[in-house]
Amino acid sequence: MNESTILETTDLNLWYGQKHALIDISLQVPKNKVTALIGPSGCGKSTLLRCFNRMNDLIDSSRITGEILFNGNDIHDPRADVYAIREKIGMVFQKPNPFPKSIYENAAYGSRIHGVSDRKELDRIVEESLKEAALWDEVKDRLHEPALSLSGGQQQRLCIARSLAVGPEVILMDEPCSALDPIATAKIEDLIIRLAQDYTVVIVTHNMQQAARASNYTGFMYLGRLVEFDKTTKIFEDPGEELTENYITGRFG
Amino acid sequence: MAKGCDIRARCQSIGWPRDYGSTEVSRPAGGTSRQFVDRAVGKLLFCAALAAIVAVFFIIVFLLRDGYQIVLETGLWNFLTGMNWNPTGQNPSYGVFPLITGTLLVMALAMVIAVPLSIGSAVFIAEIASPGMKSIIKPAIELLAGIPSVVYGFFGLILLTDWIRVVFDQPSGSSWLAGSILLAIMAIPTITSVAEDAISSVPREFKEGSLALGATHWQTIRRVIVPGALSGISAAIILGMGRAIGETMAVLMVTGNAAIIPDPITNVFSPVRTLTGTLGIEMGEVAFGSTHYHALFGVAVVLLFITLAINSVARVIITRIQGTQGTARSAPSGRVVTAIRGFVPYRALTAAASRITHATSAPFGRLLPPRVSQRCAFLLISLSVAIVIAALGVILFEIVVNGAGAISWEFLTGSPRDLGRAGGIFPAIVGTFYLVGGALAVALPLGIATAIYLIEYTADTPLTRSIRAAVDLLNGTPSIVFGLFGFAFLVLFMGFGVSLIAGQITLGLMILPTIIRTTEEALRSIPGSLREGSYALGATKWQTIWRVVLPPALPGILTGAILSIGRAAGETAPIMFTAAIFSSRFLPSSLTEPVMALPYHLFVLTTTVPGAATQSYGTAFVLLMLVLTIYLAAILVRRRYSQATVM
Amino acid sequence: MTTVAVTGILVVLLMVAGCVGEQSSNSSTSPSQQITVIGSTTVLPIAEQAREAFEARDASADIMVSGGGSGAGVKSAGEGTADIGMSSRDLKSTETTSYPDLVKHHIADDAILLVVNPANSVESLTLDEVRGIYNGTYTNWNQVGGSDRQIVVVGRDSASGTREFFSEFVMDGEDFIRTQEEFNSNGGIQQKVSQTPGALGYVGLGYTDGVKPLALNVNGADVEPTLKNITDGTYPISRPLYMLTNGEPEGLAQRYLEFIMSAEGQEIVASEDYIPLRG
Repeated sequence: MNESTILETTDLNLWYGQKHALIDISLQVPKNKVTALIGPSGCGKSTLLRCFNRMNDLIDSSRITGEILFNGNDIHDPRADVYAIREKIGMVFQKPNPFPKSIYENAAYGSRIHGVSDRKELDRIVEESLKEAALWDEVKDRLHEPALSLSGGQQQRLCIARSLAVGPEVILMDEPCSALDPIATAKIEDLIIRLAQDYTVVIVTHNMQQAARASNYTGFMYLGRLVEFDKTTKIFEDPGEELTENYITGRFG
Repeated sequence: MAKGCDIRARCQSIGWPRDYGSTEVSRPAGGTSRQFVDRAVGKLLFCAALAAIVAVFFIIVFLLRDGYQIVLETGLWNFLTGMNWNPTGQNPSYGVFPLITGTLLVMALAMVIAVPLSIGSAVFIAEIASPGMKSIIKPAIELLAGIPSVVYGFFGLILLTDWIRVVFDQPSGSSWLAGSILLAIMAIPTITSVAEDAISSVPREFKEGSLALGATHWQTIRRVIVPGALSGISAAIILGMGRAIGETMAVLMVTGNAAIIPDPITNVFSPVRTLTGTLGIEMGEVAFGSTHYHALFGVAVVLLFITLAINSVARVIITRIQGTQGTARSAPSGRVVTAIRGFVPYRALTAAASRITHATSAPFGRLLPPRVSQRCAFLLISLSVAIVIAALGVILFEIVVNGAGAISWEFLTGSPRDLGRAGGIFPAIVGTFYLVGGALAVALPLGIATAIYLIEYTADTPLTRSIRAAVDLLNGTPSIVFGLFGFAFLVLFMGFGVSLIAGQITLGLMILPTIIRTTEEALRSIPGSLREGSYALGATKWQTIWRVVLPPALPGILTGAILSIGRAAGETAPIMFTAAIFSSRFLPSSLTEPVMALPYHLFVLTTTVPGAATQSYGTAFVLLMLVLTIYLAAILVRRRYSQATVM
Repeated sequence: MTTVAVTGILVVLLMVAGCVGEQSSNSSTSPSQQITVIGSTTVLPIAEQAREAFEARDASADIMVSGGGSGAGVKSAGEGTADIGMSSRDLKSTETTSYPDLVKHHIADDAILLVVNPANSVESLTLDEVRGIYNGTYTNWNQVGGSDRQIVVVGRDSASGTREFFSEFVMDGEDFIRTQEEFNSNGGIQQKVSQTPGALGYVGLGYTDGVKPLALNVNGADVEPTLKNITDGTYPISRPLYMLTNGEPEGLAQRYLEFIMSAEGQEIVASEDYIPLRG
């Protein structure tokens, strides 16, 4: 398993001010698989997700100890380039957050900031990433309309396309379907499964069916700790911990 | 390290490394050129933000430098509590107590007049007016803010004081009351528009919740909506007070300027003299370096401290109100709080609301049946709008009717002749544009940079707190004090002389806080999720700001810039000693030459040139049209974009 | 796209601002010589009218006239920020110490007229009565021969040269009544008196529209403030007006001052209702 691990945390602890939000997390995320993080609200799963691409840097009161390795490199190494890390580890948020620009400009944004200015190259990247996100057919005739004119599900797929366009290896998804209706959710789940062929996906979700359907591995978190991490089938069929079982059977949470 | 930069930069320019296999994420310590730019921009913005502190520092130093001698001479206590201001008497005395009293009295009465009218108008616009009515009344009231103060003074001197004398059968109309009425009219648009924003932003659910319980519209307004908007309304009142206390030109034309304390203290018909009026009236004539001169700078320092005190008290009050409502506006620490803020407001609202309404116990609470009291209340509210609109109408009517006749091709394109009684005001129009343009060139980059630094780069540190305090202080600094500073620092100390550049910098400093404030607001309104989206794609901070945050914030920033153009174009006090001349044959050909300017021209015409009434009205008309056009532009920009950004 | 637009707008804004700031008017040919004249608003009308007449005959001259007050005039001339200062009062001791090289040019005299509202029946006052009104001894017009109406005392601000002269000549240094309403210009006083029935104020000779000038009762005879009476000194309240240069004037400043002193210049003085120099 070590061979195909892409992200690895060792004894990760994180505080927001006085609040101890993550406690001794040790976890190995397998490459080119979908890993789901589940757990009740406030258990720290989103916080953990935000550690992987150092989005917690943006919160001034956060303090972190322990190690996070990305392809064997410590992402907190003082020599590490946080922007390059975020290029390689993309993120999709709970609520679709397309920029108030055109569809095209949203998809091209990442490439532009990383220095691509050639129009043809941009066109290619935009088309490819929109196709990958299964959005191309729906928007190819109106690329220059405002992204905000899209439906919620389309907006979310645009956000996925946007992060694919910069060529990541890992895509972090923070409850990407919680603001969407069932049909849009199904489309995104299909997409997630397809993406796992080329990318590693880590997804935080409240929806246990979603975790069961779309993921290969599942981690259950509770009160800042990683209670259990294993193959999704194992977690859902034969959880090792009583806490996990209680949660997935709906006895609390 | 240099090598690392180069390689990285080259890689990027070659093309997007979509298929590069390496997963190398650590770079040499120097970082990439992108990061270099990011850091450099950060430093630059930081320097800009420091400018606000530096400006405040210089203003205080230069006022103190010229003002402390009066304290040496008379003693601090005697200066502050002396009952007699008579700098040129046989035994000169420099007591500013009557001036302080005058300032506070004029301001207090102005607030007594302005606050009910403004809140009434705000409630009317936000809750009662039909959309069509609202679209007329709101801009109309905002236009009141665009009328230059010297135009108000002109109006006050000619109409208001005489009206007071006749109506109240007083020997003289120049009085405390006249000053307060004028200041009230000037403060109303500020208070109304900020209070209206606050009222409109009270969530619909509160209103619906109350109506669903069977409350009348008025009961809902009184018990739910107004209490919910209380902190915004207090902020509005304080902004209005700031405007009132710093006003110079209008006040000195109507209060009579006798340095006495009204006897009895409630005698609103007594003439009074304010601190600002004293500066505006005496500064030009005083002998430089004399005790009187130092005393005037002492007056400026006192004025600054009073403004500061009012600001601080206000801040405490607002924080406390927000505290009771459970909103933690004043202490945002990082994005999390920003995000959380949206979810937890107004939890204690109902409790606070009922407490407040009981305290203020409205006049027709339990005495009348709800429907009758609603009718009474709406009547009063409509009345207050009517009064405000009438005030606007009278002023506009007076100036348009008398001024339009003076407008001719020659008046607009010629140079003044015969002391401005003939010829035109072209150099003054152009001079005004030069001054405003220069002020913008100074304030726009500096202000936007400061705001970006404050919002995007820092959390709540002692440094940002002091930058914010400095900005607040600049914002509360009366325009005449800017004038004095410009004179002491730019004209004399820096040796610019009375010149275009001295006026531009002075005006630039004056509008700096407005630009910073409005830009901050605009940036704050951009959701944090957009920033996160950009960061998550590997964008640097500056890339995120430049490409994601600034574009949608632009309309807000533009509105702020346009409003400050209006303010700069209409101000007399800051340019009176720094840049303005009465006449010049040629347009200025360098920054070191003085210019003509419309507000100053109007001031001199009305006060010094006999037989120029037509030209006075004409100049007032042109100035008014100019400033109103600018304000109208701001209103249109805002309306266009507020429709466009509704998602 | 939006980014381009944003950048564009910002750049244009800055450029416009910059250009206007830097600016340069190529509309007019650059004048060969330029002087600035700054100071007392009382002297300003003379300086301004003289400028117009002078420039009409000397197309290359560029004279800029600005108000600001006597203090600003003295300071600007002394510091060299202006070529000529204007003052409606003599130099103060602090000023002569700071700027020992200032040269005073007496260019005209200014009469000070006591004015009342046209509705007031009083036609003349003695100097003692005027002092009595301004120091608060008399508070009602019926004490000085008028009808029963409270006197509204109106004067200039305490920094004004006019007030200083008035204080020395009329008040003998006594303090003014503290309820005196103060204005910072002749025009302000004129406006005030013209609309206030009970007002008494003092203004320069040119500011008599809408107000009634009072005769001064000197030794039992009324002296009207006519040009003749003022010029020959029968009407006693007048004071000198000055232009100041740092050292003897040169070039355009000298020619401009000479023009004001010339017969033509003094005609301008008279036409603006000031008193030309005698002889």
